[in-house]
Amino acid sequence: MKPPPFSYAAPTTLDEAVGLLTEHAEAEPRVLAGGQSLIPLMNFRLAKPGFLVDLRNVAGLSGIRRDGDILVIGAMTRMSELERSPEVAVAVPLLAEAVGLIAHTPVRNSGTIGGSLAHADPAAELPAVALACDAELLAAGPAGARRIPAAQFLRGPFSTALAPDEILTEIRLPVWHGGHAFAEFSRIHANFAVVGVAALVELDGDRIGRAALAVTGVAPTAIRATAAERALVGAAAHATTVAEAARAGADGLAPVGDLHASAETRISLARTYLRRALDLAISRARNER
Amino acid sequence: MALDTCTISLTVNGQPHVAEVEPRRLLVDFLREDLGLPGTHIGCEHGVCGTCTVLLNGASIRSCITFAVQADGAEISTVEGLASDGGWHPLQDEFSAKQGLQCGYCTPGMLMRACEILADNPDPTPEQVRSAIASNLCRCTGYQFITEAVVAAAARMRATAAAKEAAS
Amino acid sequence: MTATDRAAAAPPVRDHSAKRRWVGQSIRRVEDPKFLLGQGGYIADRITPGCLHAAVLRSPHPHARILRIETTEAQAAPGVHAVITGQEAAELCDPMPDFGPDPARHTWRCLAADKVRYVGEGVAVVVADSRYLAEDALELIEVEYEPLPAVVDPERALAEGAPLVHEALESNCAYERTFDFGEVERDFAEADVIVRDRLRWHRSGGQPLETVGAIAEYDRGTGSFTIDTNTLSFTSYLFMAANTLKVPANKLDIRPVPAGGSFGSKLFANKPGVIAAMCARKTGRRVAYLEDRVDNISNCDHHGSDRVYDVELAMMRDGTMRGIKIDVIDDYGAYIQFGVGHHGNALAQVVGPYTIPSVRYRVRAALTNKNQQGAYRGFGSEVNNWMLEQMVDKAARELGIDPVAVRRKNFIREFPHFIPTGNVYDSGDYDRVLDKALELADYAHWRDEQQRLREEGRYIGIGVISAQERSVFSATEFWFWFDEPGAPVTSTPESVTLKVDATGGITAILYSCAFWGNSPETMVSQFVAEEFDCSPYDVSVVYHGSRDGLPATGPGGSRTTVMLAGAVEGAAAKIKEKARRAAAHLLEIAPDDMEWADGGFRVRGDPERKKSLAEIAVMLHLFKHSFPEDMESGLDGSKVFDHPYTTMPSADRKDLGVFYPFMGHACHIPVVEVDIETGAVTFLHYAAVHDCGTLVNPRSLAGHIVGGTAQGIGTALYEEYVYDEDGQLLSSSYLDYLIPSAMEVPELTIGHVETPSPYTPHGVKGGGEGGRMMAPAAINAAVNDALAPLGIRLTELPMTPERILAALRAAGQAG
Repeated sequence: MKPPPFSYAAPTTLDEAVGLLTEHAEAEPRVLAGGQSLIPLMNFRLAKPGFLVDLRNVAGLSGIRRDGDILVIGAMTRMSELERSPEVAVAVPLLAEAVGLIAHTPVRNSGTIGGSLAHADPAAELPAVALACDAELLAAGPAGARRIPAAQFLRGPFSTALAPDEILTEIRLPVWHGGHAFAEFSRIHANFAVVGVAALVELDGDRIGRAALAVTGVAPTAIRATAAERALVGAAAHATTVAEAARAGADGLAPVGDLHASAETRISLARTYLRRALDLAISRARNER
Repeated sequence: MALDTCTISLTVNGQPHVAEVEPRRLLVDFLREDLGLPGTHIGCEHGVCGTCTVLLNGASIRSCITFAVQADGAEISTVEGLASDGGWHPLQDEFSAKQGLQCGYCTPGMLMRACEILADNPDPTPEQVRSAIASNLCRCTGYQFITEAVVAAAARMRATAAAKEAAS
Repeated sequence: MTATDRAAAAPPVRDHSAKRRWVGQSIRRVEDPKFLLGQGGYIADRITPGCLHAAVLRSPHPHARILRIETTEAQAAPGVHAVITGQEAAELCDPMPDFGPDPARHTWRCLAADKVRYVGEGVAVVVADSRYLAEDALELIEVEYEPLPAVVDPERALAEGAPLVHEALESNCAYERTFDFGEVERDFAEADVIVRDRLRWHRSGGQPLETVGAIAEYDRGTGSFTIDTNTLSFTSYLFMAANTLKVPANKLDIRPVPAGGSFGSKLFANKPGVIAAMCARKTGRRVAYLEDRVDNISNCDHHGSDRVYDVELAMMRDGTMRGIKIDVIDDYGAYIQFGVGHHGNALAQVVGPYTIPSVRYRVRAALTNKNQQGAYRGFGSEVNNWMLEQMVDKAARELGIDPVAVRRKNFIREFPHFIPTGNVYDSGDYDRVLDKALELADYAHWRDEQQRLREEGRYIGIGVISAQERSVFSATEFWFWFDEPGAPVTSTPESVTLKVDATGGITAILYSCAFWGNSPETMVSQFVAEEFDCSPYDVSVVYHGSRDGLPATGPGGSRTTVMLAGAVEGAAAKIKEKARRAAAHLLEIAPDDMEWADGGFRVRGDPERKKSLAEIAVMLHLFKHSFPEDMESGLDGSKVFDHPYTTMPSADRKDLGVFYPFMGHACHIPVVEVDIETGAVTFLHYAAVHDCGTLVNPRSLAGHIVGGTAQGIGTALYEEYVYDEDGQLLSSSYLDYLIPSAMEVPELTIGHVETPSPYTPHGVKGGGEGGRMMAPAAINAAVNDALAPLGIRLTELPMTPERILAALRAAGQAG
């Protein structure tokens, strides 16, 4: 299972990297971040880019900083750094919790937040986090930089709004006050999630003031569970509300089944994990006050 | 500039190397064949089993889903670097003492991962060890004696570190 | 056979009263240092500069005619030395060695020639300077296929009008026979209750972390092949591999190298070696063929049992078991290299530890468009254990009898015990194993916990199973399926040569005995140390190739430890006999007045007059004239140890004879929790007690119990080679073939009981397979116990979340 041949460059500036993608367009170039999603595909020869632009030496693409009420993360920031970061733990603990569920430490040591988002696996955790947080993704291309809201970023299975000559440079996550939870079901510990839920909840007294829920593994991309969110906002923060919201969230889903879980099972897992994630997020929201 | 082979410089088990490699050459093949270090093994070639685990700048990585070019400028540690003139690394010795290996194929990757586990947490509980080694599959042992070996090695390494500290 | 005949046919009962110094010690393994240093010397480590690499093009279709293969572009690709298609391979090589029922009509070749019969079957091989370049060239090969309808379900395969996997066979039924042992109809007529069930066990497999690989060379000068490979077994049958390569048997040398696990899947796995050898002869170069993971999953020829059972268990109301009727269909895939030997393994212990007096066993081997079965730890007996224990639990429930009590009521308590099939259980103490397991499991506490947690709406289950783990198979198991077998073979030897050098150092030579993660070097070293009072770490162990070595069978059926014990004992006896005579001659004493003690021979009654082994050896090596004319120089001995207890089947096959006599036993008691919202199963506790006779290295056996249990957990909950209804292999990588990690395997509480075998050296029995032979049965029992309040019983493995949730939905209980 050896990868097919490709030409390679490891530029030191973002402009150079974008330039290479444009220059070698006919070779079907791809960006190489951590490679933890791309290289297995290449070893299976399911992906055969003729050119790889390695971002490892490009300055300014990794780092974590706070910009007011936004957590700004460079696309090449390794997942292990996110996992250990005190800033992430304080600003967007949902992200810290989700990263801890991505595969195992060795994969997180190499894998990057940008790589995972750009890969857009329908079962992956980070796209759900980006959606739930209403994150903004920054991309750099030959025409300059642009901001893409998370809701517009995910287009389909392994498909994003990035053009072939664009590079994801930064992720901007609004800080959420309240409770969070990322819960997922996988068959083997730390394996790909069958279904996962990212939940953010803010309480207003005993009621739910604000809620954001995203679900993976039930659609061509991670999706916001807007029906569930509507059932939550303004309602009392207790079990009946949560159960109702979970049911609303699972209603109308039309997932594709596979050897791990049928469509029917994915729908019931979505309901179960919406409930479990909400329970946890609400209890954390209560503890914060 | 586009390249069909690349020159890489890296340190492996403390030895510097400069080499010319195809960009597609997997790090595990580079280590095993180009550098003559066959201790790192190939299990799945798609990044699931962890048999190919080595340390890159002290952090575990899966060398079957890493290109050698991605290790340019890095310090790599493999199983061949564990034992020293002074003898076995405590992890190696405890793996033997506790029979934490049967076929030995997952063992190098397991040992390197265990180095990282103990560097991050020198005093892990058995549950913490078991959770941490979930990154590396073993088909022979069922993980129990591996867990015991890592816990035992941790105790010895703490004692050695404490003795050093007391002596200094 | 009459009782008198049986008594006469048994080997002498041994006296195991001698005190043991090394056997029974959990010493550090002799094998470990090289593996810990990363110098294991596995097959992939033996690639030398200039070695070429092979890669196989695999069929994407489950069933298709090969109309055309175009290889011109591939042959011209950079670094390519040869491209061989299935058609050309059929000229270069004869069919693969095949112990199946009718090889001429289900012909198996190293590459498919006219037709592909499963996804993953090889159709061509490329040989190039590197594996990278070989795979590049694979992509340039054009194959035109004519897809054919695939047959995937074994029952449909046996039905009228099913697509034929092998036209020449005119059927997809490769073998069918019904055996009756004892008075089946009478026992069923007299029974109070007949308990019935249908059970389904899906195929999983060994999936060791190292795949099969071979490096081959062809010497044009001598016309000989040398193949280094991590696969072994059945030296005396390797002439079949030589036939495949169209060379005389004495022109093929297969040399074993350490393997990174096998669990059966490297047993007689000659296809990679044949492919490498064929390529070596064609190119005139050394060629390596190392399976990659997808090759191994889809094309290893070692998938596990894949069975549909319809069973009836005849019971008396008081819980006595009267008889069992077993109707089993086994889905063998596209070929059937080991025939239905897996059912011989079942028949060796078909009644489990119970005094069931009669058995009907109907077996049908179905051929389908899947990779063929081979060997997987248990070799088909673990499936029988599971089926039987499921039936016993169902019977207990239907009769309202406690599951532990119903087992005790039927335990065999007198040994040796002949079961209805004719096989013997040499020794055992099933009560003692059960008692110990219940104690280690803290059984009463967990029953209380179960009750308490049920009231909290949690579903906790406890499985209690007691089952057999046979060891050391006889060759009769290969052919007693047929009234007129073509080759009624009777040999399954194991050989060891011991050589004492001039310094007294001992070298043990093993013959095509494989290191798979079993510990043959440690076993042999402990036995040699026991014989000669040396340190096991002073013994040198060498693995010899097949061509100029003594006959050997290799690991399988948990035979290695027992057989090596016999071979070492025999070789040591020859050395001691000569050493005694030599010492006696040097001391001018009659040989009968010498006794072995403390590493040498001494005069009985005058212990100061003695000669150490080293003193004797140096004289024998260097001082010929100090000895009589008829005493040759040197000091060594070889023993070809044949199976010590095999008897022939009766002509009418109502008695299959003794073919798997050294019978171990175990009890597993897992405690599980089932999450009824997700179908996830987690372990709260797991106790396992095994009786494998005398233990040579208790820690080593414990390691196999845990490892085997881990694989049993995989089989019970996670692992399956999944083919969809069109024959596509859905689980073609580790993304989908799910191997348990450290978080899926609990810590086991292990106990040992030792009832020695009366027939083996030191009373040793084999035990390497036991963990996996118990765990699937035990875990299924536990899950069923957990879901019993909901009226749910799972009868299909693996019990995936999907299957558990489907059962819950069907019962109206889904969360």
